[in-house]
Amino acid sequence: MNATLAAILAILGLTLVKATPLIYAALGGVLSERAGVVNIGLEGILIAGAFTSVVISGATGSPILGALAGVVAGMLLAAILAFAATRLGVDQIVAGTGLNIAALAAAAFGLVLVYHQPGASHEVPALGIAGERILIVSAFVAAVALQLVLARTPWGLRVRACGEDPSAAEAAGIDALRTRFWAVVIGGAIASLGGVYLSLAELDLYSDGMTAGRGFIALAAVIFGRWTPLGATGAALFFGFFAALQYSLQRAGVPSELMQALPYLAALVALAGFAGRVRAPAADGVPYVRP
Amino acid sequence: MSAVLRRPVVRDIVVVLVVVFGVGSIAMLLAHVSPLDGFGALFDGAFGTRSELAETLVQTTCLLFPALGIAIAFRAGLFNIGAEGQLILGGFAAGWLGAQFPLPGYLAIPMVLLAGALAGGVWGAIPGFLRARFGANEVIATLMLNVVAALLATYLVNGPLQQGGAGASETGTLPKAAQLPDLIADSRLTWAFVLALVIAFVLRWVLQRTVFGYELRAAGDAPEAARRAGIDLSRTAFVAMALSGALAGLGGATIVAGVLHRFNTGLSPGYGFIAIAVALVGNLDPLWIIVASFAFGVLQSGGVAMQAEAGVPRDVVSLVTGLVIIALAGRRVVAKLRST
Amino acid sequence: MTGVRRRFGAVQAVDGVDLELFPGEIHALVGENGAGKSTLAAIAYGAVKPDDGAVTSDGVVGLVHQHFKLIERLRVWENVLLNREPRRGWAIDVAAARARVDKLAAAYGLAVDPDAVVETLPVGIKQRVELLRELDREPTVLLLDEPTAALAPSEIASFFTTISALAARGTAILVVTHKLAEVIAYSRRVTVMRAGRVVARHFTSETSADAIAREMVGGEVPALAARAATVTVPLLEVRGVSARSATSVLTDASFAVRAGEIVGIAGIEGNGQTALADALAGVVPFTGELRFAGEVLRADDSPASRLQRGIRVIPQDRRHEALVLSWNVIDNVVLGRQRALARANYADAAREVIELFDVRPPDPQAIAGALSGGNQQKIVVGRTLTAQPKLVVAYQPTRGIDIGAAALVQSRLIEARNAGAGVLLISFELDEIFACADRVLVIANGTFAGEFDRANIDRGRIGALMAGHA
Repeated sequence: MNATLAAILAILGLTLVKATPLIYAALGGVLSERAGVVNIGLEGILIAGAFTSVVISGATGSPILGALAGVVAGMLLAAILAFAATRLGVDQIVAGTGLNIAALAAAAFGLVLVYHQPGASHEVPALGIAGERILIVSAFVAAVALQLVLARTPWGLRVRACGEDPSAAEAAGIDALRTRFWAVVIGGAIASLGGVYLSLAELDLYSDGMTAGRGFIALAAVIFGRWTPLGATGAALFFGFFAALQYSLQRAGVPSELMQALPYLAALVALAGFAGRVRAPAADGVPYVRP
Repeated sequence: MSAVLRRPVVRDIVVVLVVVFGVGSIAMLLAHVSPLDGFGALFDGAFGTRSELAETLVQTTCLLFPALGIAIAFRAGLFNIGAEGQLILGGFAAGWLGAQFPLPGYLAIPMVLLAGALAGGVWGAIPGFLRARFGANEVIATLMLNVVAALLATYLVNGPLQQGGAGASETGTLPKAAQLPDLIADSRLTWAFVLALVIAFVLRWVLQRTVFGYELRAAGDAPEAARRAGIDLSRTAFVAMALSGALAGLGGATIVAGVLHRFNTGLSPGYGFIAIAVALVGNLDPLWIIVASFAFGVLQSGGVAMQAEAGVPRDVVSLVTGLVIIALAGRRVVAKLRST
Repeated sequence: MTGVRRRFGAVQAVDGVDLELFPGEIHALVGENGAGKSTLAAIAYGAVKPDDGAVTSDGVVGLVHQHFKLIERLRVWENVLLNREPRRGWAIDVAAARARVDKLAAAYGLAVDPDAVVETLPVGIKQRVELLRELDREPTVLLLDEPTAALAPSEIASFFTTISALAARGTAILVVTHKLAEVIAYSRRVTVMRAGRVVARHFTSETSADAIAREMVGGEVPALAARAATVTVPLLEVRGVSARSATSVLTDASFAVRAGEIVGIAGIEGNGQTALADALAGVVPFTGELRFAGEVLRADDSPASRLQRGIRVIPQDRRHEALVLSWNVIDNVVLGRQRALARANYADAAREVIELFDVRPPDPQAIAGALSGGNQQKIVVGRTLTAQPKLVVAYQPTRGIDIGAAALVQSRLIEARNAGAGVLLISFELDEIFACADRVLVIANGTFAGEFDRANIDRGRIGALMAGHA
């Protein structure tokens, strides 16, 4: 095979690997925001998914159980944010920030508790190449599925109604708080798969800080993608491509920090370029308080 | 309301105490440590001896600067989640300039502090500009810039602006003249603490008693009414973010000039994020933020002792801090600006 | 409904009300703003739970809200059938949904396009969508809260035709309104509320608009200030001005306002008034020519520069566009003049407004959010007028406030006119325009359609112009 072709294929493959966790996180973010809840805590959910899946996989010897546990952990964390955002009506962005800090600390604390060492866990049974490929393909399947659910199903319509105008939704008999709650929790389940991928598919352990801000890049992908599942997936691929380029450009002498910064700089440019032209769901980030 | 101190609500104090002591105790039990021992070690380590109290005040100072910055932004209706990055760059500017250009004390110290404030101010002004000019969401912008700041500092300190030898990840040592004078001898506590207190009082006065403060608060409390009253919201957003960044940057500079005497990429264990909790607990009022900074300073310095003496990982402190932020997120629901 | 009570904070919104609705009747519920009518309707619907008392109904109760509960970015069929969508397997059966909306629309004579996105629709059509949503539930009781607020006079007639047909089919209908002419023309019974209580019940045929008005107010309506003779001087010239503010569009407007006169702009809500007010305030740009006291105003002027020239706008939405509800009276009075006034004089400025405008409670430290709507509006109008403006643009200055406060506000505007200010009064209440204006202009569909001197006011013609008929 031609060397250039091989190189291109390698980059494309790496793009998929880098993009997959972003896609899961971004899809979770899209669902949550379409219902009207800004989920800044995606980073924390990724951490929860990554950490819990490793611990359970190590404890049970089954990476599948580990993955399931990771999803449950992500849902639990999302439930905390969802509860605070819907029942308590708190500021969603501040709460999400707190969630990230708490999740990172909890995982670090957990490392010491479970493995008696800070920094990283032991190696655990991982999902292997087959598992990794399944997760990659599933990410795209999930994207299409979410797009259909939002656009065509009754529940999807209700989610969108709550994100645009929760008081009008309630006038139609929808429980806006409950709908928002479940959208955030299900979104958390989807996002946590990104964390599971990072720890059990791409690698076979959890290390402190391994999520490296992917939750925030996912947020940028949600905006880039105009709050649609397919759009956010495209944006995630775009960012994944930049991450994939990082290694090759590094060998060409470009400073590694610049490459690491690229996704964030790209997101900033997008914010400046797109801001004002895109419209979030009208009630996004606005707590709904029943009169 | 306007001239009265925004007292932290009793309910909030109770919530904070429940979270700190409740969750903290659970975590300690999980680590097979009795909460009595754990908290005992923490408080003993925070002010058991004079030098330990001094260290607690050092941590208080490190938190107070960025917390004041975050509070100013919040009062103007903006989220500055980027205080960490502004702090890092402020510290880098201070460290590098101070080591590069030795000057006599009465010039060196102002230069170093000013450099920190300017660097932080510029880093805060970027999202401020994006918000003012493009209406871009400053939350995402500041989050992104946090990471970029850390990467930028690492790159500069190891690369083109290297002073400490490649791979050292730190600048050269500050000459004595550029180091802040000690407040308590043989401790790390310097006059930076006093500076922070003074700034807190000045900020409170500015917010309550000046036209600038009035307009800033109006922009945060009722943006549409403020706009129609002739207040320039874009300019207010820009200035508030720049000021917020400058305060965080100044904080970084005082860490470099007072505590470490050099810039080091690990200079902040997340002060910029903990400061969010501090600002919220202090109900966004500069004077109450002093109290809140002390409370969290106790947790920070006591946490080291708690890990060393009682074997409870320091992460418990961060965990509790994060939960406090979630619990107090209801303190302020910022009015959303209608975009045209 | 029997013995219903409901409190919101310090206000007893509904204080022991009994109300009975019979099938086949249109029952009018009247009262001033703040009398408790909307709250009572919400309780009847079930959206608000009463603190005391019982509500029973025989079948489904529907409510058409004053401010529509429609989701702007969704389509008509999505709004009408929200939460009751026809399904095919796991998905929504879109074709069936469209068909159902069409059938419903035909049955009630309310034509709509099921696929249209709601935010593109004019207000009258939006109301049809709101109505269809409730009608799809086949209610036995239908409550309508201020249903004609946003309709043209001709649309009002056809609206009541639809409603009367519904009543003829057996639905019990409650119309909450403050428009007495409609009450007399269309209702069978009328209940009058004041300060949360029912003060009178009549068969409509046995009473009159004047009697009801007196019952609503509990006395005579206060008289307005006298109009002095003034010498009018050119002040504001508007030539070919077009502007846009959110969904409000103004097209090619030309008129003038002179110092010492009140020009009233009569029109139905949603016909370009907001664009006009916002362009004058400097909040949105405009094209065309705007001259004030001989000088050209620029399209990119800031609100601050308009204030400096002496142009002051009383905005339509005091809670979001004029006041900082969490601040006290002093800081709210000063808003807009915080640089012009010296800090030491802030408290005096507040006291001046409190005295001249009878703000209650007369406490400069009171928090604005705790005051009643009428007192909040007095602060806004008071701070505007005590700043000695040259031009006052008053946009719905008496919206949602009690009659006493409204009369005071209108009187102060007249006094400002007497003292030589120019006043542009934009209002959706024709009575208010007729009471205050020296000249009446009509706005419809974003353009100006007619001009009348005070002496030549022709209500019929004005009504027709407002509806867009030449």
